[in-house]
Amino acid sequence: MSFTADIDQPVPLPRGRRGAELLMLAFALAVVLFAFAAVGLGLRGKLPAGLPVDVLVFAVIMLAGHLAVRRFAPYADPLLLPLAALLNGLGLVMIYRLAESGRNGNPGLQVTDMSTSATTTQLMYTGVGALAMVAVLVLISQPRVLQRYTYTLGALGLVLLALPAMLPDSHSVVNGAKVWIIFGSFSVEPGEFARLALAVFFAGYLVTKRDALALAGRRVLGIDLPRARDLGPVLLAWAASLLILIFETDIGTSALFFGMFIAMLYIATQRTSWVLIGVSLFVAGSWLTALLFSHVMERFTVWLHPFQGANPTGIAFQPVQGLEGIAFGGIFGTGLGQGQPYHTPLVQSDFIFTAFGEELGLVGVMALLLVFGLLVQRGLRAALAAKDPFSKLLVGGLSFVLALQIFVIVGGVSGLIPLTGVTTPFLSEGGSSLVASWILVGLLIRVSDSARRPAPQPIQEEGMTQVVRAA
Amino acid sequence: MNRALLKISLACLAMFVLLLLNMNYVQAFEAGKLAAEPGNIRVFDEQFSYQRGAIIAAGDGTNLKIAESRLIKGTDTYQRYYPQGEMYAPVTGYDTIYSKSGVEQSENSLLAGTSPQLAVHNFTALLTGKQKQGATVELTISPAAQEAAYKALSANTGGHAAGLVAIDPSTGAILALASYPSFNPNELTTFDGTTLNKVDHRLLTERSQPLLNRATQVTLPPGSTFKIVTSSAAFSTGKVANPSATIPAPTVLTLPNGHLLHNDDDEVCGDGNPQIIEAFYLSCDTAFGELGMKLTAPVLRDYASKFGMNQALSVPIPVVPSVLPEGPGWTDPSLTAYTAIGQYNDAVTPLQEAMLAAAIANHGKLMRPYLVQQVLGPGLSVISSHQPSVLSQAVSAPVANDIQQMMYQVTHNPGGTAYATAGPGVTGSIIIDGKTGTAQNGPNNTGLNDAVFTCFVPASGSGSSPIAVGVMVQGGGYGADAAAPLAVAVIKAYLAAHP
Repeated sequence: MSFTADIDQPVPLPRGRRGAELLMLAFALAVVLFAFAAVGLGLRGKLPAGLPVDVLVFAVIMLAGHLAVRRFAPYADPLLLPLAALLNGLGLVMIYRLAESGRNGNPGLQVTDMSTSATTTQLMYTGVGALAMVAVLVLISQPRVLQRYTYTLGALGLVLLALPAMLPDSHSVVNGAKVWIIFGSFSVEPGEFARLALAVFFAGYLVTKRDALALAGRRVLGIDLPRARDLGPVLLAWAASLLILIFETDIGTSALFFGMFIAMLYIATQRTSWVLIGVSLFVAGSWLTALLFSHVMERFTVWLHPFQGANPTGIAFQPVQGLEGIAFGGIFGTGLGQGQPYHTPLVQSDFIFTAFGEELGLVGVMALLLVFGLLVQRGLRAALAAKDPFSKLLVGGLSFVLALQIFVIVGGVSGLIPLTGVTTPFLSEGGSSLVASWILVGLLIRVSDSARRPAPQPIQEEGMTQVVRAA
Repeated sequence: MNRALLKISLACLAMFVLLLLNMNYVQAFEAGKLAAEPGNIRVFDEQFSYQRGAIIAAGDGTNLKIAESRLIKGTDTYQRYYPQGEMYAPVTGYDTIYSKSGVEQSENSLLAGTSPQLAVHNFTALLTGKQKQGATVELTISPAAQEAAYKALSANTGGHAAGLVAIDPSTGAILALASYPSFNPNELTTFDGTTLNKVDHRLLTERSQPLLNRATQVTLPPGSTFKIVTSSAAFSTGKVANPSATIPAPTVLTLPNGHLLHNDDDEVCGDGNPQIIEAFYLSCDTAFGELGMKLTAPVLRDYASKFGMNQALSVPIPVVPSVLPEGPGWTDPSLTAYTAIGQYNDAVTPLQEAMLAAAIANHGKLMRPYLVQQVLGPGLSVISSHQPSVLSQAVSAPVANDIQQMMYQVTHNPGGTAYATAGPGVTGSIIIDGKTGTAQNGPNNTGLNDAVFTCFVPASGSGSSPIAVGVMVQGGGYGADAAAPLAVAVIKAYLAAHP
C-alpha cells in the first residue's frame, strides 16, 4: 500500500448534517401534530378547531429557526434544535389542553383560571424565543465574543437577580414568590435571564482566575483545601444565593444559581474540595434559613409528611394533587385530554410535569426525561468538544444547570426532594422561562458549531506564511 | 477540563437516573397506595365512569345478581343497582359517592378493578382498547336460604329486630346472612349529594336503626345456647363423663355471694340430680350454673375461644367479636354461674351462634366462615377461589357426638324446649338438632327477653352436615317460640333447593 496515494486527495470536510436536523425536526413536528390532535379527540372526540393554524404557525417558527441555523451555524449539533422543538411543542399542546379544562363543554372541575388565549400567548413566546435564539446566532459569531462582556454581563446578572427584591411587593410577587418584575400587563421573571448572564460572567471570571483557584493550600483528610484568600468569590456567591433565598422566598432559584457556580468552579479547577465546600455551605445555609424562616421549614414538612393530618387539604394540597395525579396516570397514563390534571392548582406552571405524568403515564414521562437528558448530554458533548476553555466552562455550566433545574422541579413534584418552585424548561407556561431556554439552546448551538467547524484549510502548501480561509 | 466535564456528566446522569427511578416508584409501585388515599379527587371522580363488577349470590348453583352497575341512558356514567334491595342489604352493603359498606367495601379493590390481581386484565383491556371493568364477586349465599331468612325475620311477631346466619358446617360457607329491619341500598346510589345526605340522615336517625347489621354487628347474651360451650368444657375436661352422667340440679341454687339462681318459672329439674342430657334439653339453669362454677371462668373462656369467640373475624365483611371478656372480678364463682348459662357478660352475634352449631355438626372442627366463593375477572376467568380452612378444633369428635346427642333431645324429646317448634311435628322428615336460649335483659331483668336458637341438620350416612343456623331476635321472648321457627323455615327452604 502506498502512503502517497492519498496525499493529493482533499481532506473531507465534516458534514454539517443539516439534512438530518431537518428530518428530525419534521419528526418532532409530527409528534406535536399528533399530540395536539389526541388532546382534541381525548377531550371532546373531535379535532381541536385551532389545530391547523396553531400547528402551522409552530412549524413555520421552527423551520425558520432551522434555516437560521443552516445559515449562521452550519456545523452545529443537529439534535439540539429538534429536541428543543419537541419539548416546546409538547408544552404548547399541554397548555392548550389545560386551558380547555372546564371550557367549551370539556370536562373540568370548574373553569380553569388560565386565560382563554393561553395557547396563543405561549405560541407568541415561542416565536420570541426562536427569534432570541437566532439573535444569539447572529450577534455572537464566536463564543469568545461573549468573553469581552464578562463583567458587563456579571453586573447585569446581579441587577436582574436583585431587582425583584428591591421592588415593592405589588410589582414583584406572584403566588408568593418575589421573583417577578411587573408593570401593568407586562411581567417578566428576571432570574431566568440572570442565570444566563451570570453563567457568562462565571465562565469569563473563572477562565482568568482558575490557575489561582486551583492552587492547593493545606491538605486535610486527604483533600487539598484551597487557600483561604481564594475563598472570597465562593463566599460572595454563597451570600448572594442566601440573600435570594431570604428576600425573594425562592429556594429554587437560589439552588440553581449556587449549583451552577459550584459546578463551573469545579470544571475550571478540577478541585473536589470546591464541591465539598460548596455543598456544605449550601446545606448549612439551607438549614440555617429553615430554622429562621417558616416558609423554608414548611417545604420540608410538606415533603416528609404530605398526607399527615390536615396537610393534604392544607399546606400540601398542591403537591398532594400533583402526586395523586402522577399516580393516577400509572404506567400508561389516561391518555391526553382524558385525565384530571385540572385538580392541581397552577398545574400549567411549576406542576406541568405532573399533567404529563397523569395523561402520558410512566412511559410518557420516561420518554420526556430522556429527551431532556439527551439535550443535556448534547450540551455536555459540545463542552467537551469545544476548543477554548471559556466555551467549555460556559456550555458545561449551562448544561449542568439545565439538568439541575429539571432535577429540582421534576424531583420536587414527584416527591424525591423538597419542592421548590422553578419552571420546567420549555414546558411550563410563561414567556421568561421559554425565551431564556431558547437563548440557552442558541448558546449550545453556537458553541457546538464552533467546536465541530473544521480547522481552517491552508490554501497553499509551501512557505512560512500561509494564507488561510477565514471562518 | 475535560476530566472535570466527564465527572459533571456523570453527576447529570445520576440526577436523571434518580428521576427515572423515582417516577417508576411512584407510578408503578406506589400508585395503588396513592389511589387509596382518602380524599383522592381523581379516584372519586372516576369511580362511576366505568362498569364496577357485579356481586352474585351463587350458593344454589344458579347466579342471582344482587348488585350490578348499569349505564345511565344518554350518559357515560354507571349507577349501582341492587335488584334484590333490602333482602341482601346486610350482605352487599351500599356504594355511595362518599362511602361503602358490606361486600362493596371489603371487596372494593376487586369490584373497582384496581386490585393488583387484575393488573394483567387491565393491561390486556388497554391493549385491545376495551373499557376498564371491575371483577365479578361470587358469594356463597344461597338465594333460597337468604330469601327464607329475610322473609322469616321480617314476619316475626312483634316486628322485633333480628339477625340470622346460616353456615355450611363442612366448609364454613355462609349460606344466609339476614338482618331485620333492613334498608334499601338503591336509595343511596344517587349522585346528588344533597339527596344522599337526606336519605343518610333519615336512615341514621331512624329508631329501628336499619343500617345496623344484626347478623354480624350486634352482640346479645347467648342465654342457654351457651350451655353448649359449658357442656363442651365439662366433657372435654372430664368433669362430666358422658351425657348420662348425673349432675346436681337444685330448684334454687344459692350462690357464694348469697344471690339465688332460679330455674325458669322455678321449675323442678328432673329429680334434682338428673343426667346432664336431661338438664340440657330441659335447660336447667341451676345445673349448668353449678357446673360452671366447678369448671371456673378461665376454662369457660378457653372453650368459648375454641368456638371462635374473643377474636376479630372478617368474612370478609367485618364482624364484631363475640366475647366472654376478662374484667375486674370476672373469675368470681357467683358471676361464673351466670356466665355458664350465657347471662352475665358473655355476648355473641348470630354468626357466632351459627358457629356454635356448625362446630358440633362438623365433628368438633370449626371451619372459618366466609362469604366470597370466587372472584371472576372480566371475561369470567377465575382470579381467585376460596379454599376452606379450619378456624379451630373446638372439641374432639367424641365430645361433639355427645353434644349432638343432647341437642337431638332438645328437639326430639317431648320435654325438650324446642320439641314443639323445631321437632318432628313441624319439620317432618328433616332432623334438626338445636339449643334454645332465652336471655334476660334490662335492669333487674325487666326488659324483654332476647330469643336465641342455634341448630343444625346432622350428617346422614357418610355425608356431612348440610347446614347450621344461628338466629337471635332482640326482645322476642322465648327462644323456642320466637327464634326456632325462623331457623326451621330457613333449613326447610335450603334443603328444598339442595335435595
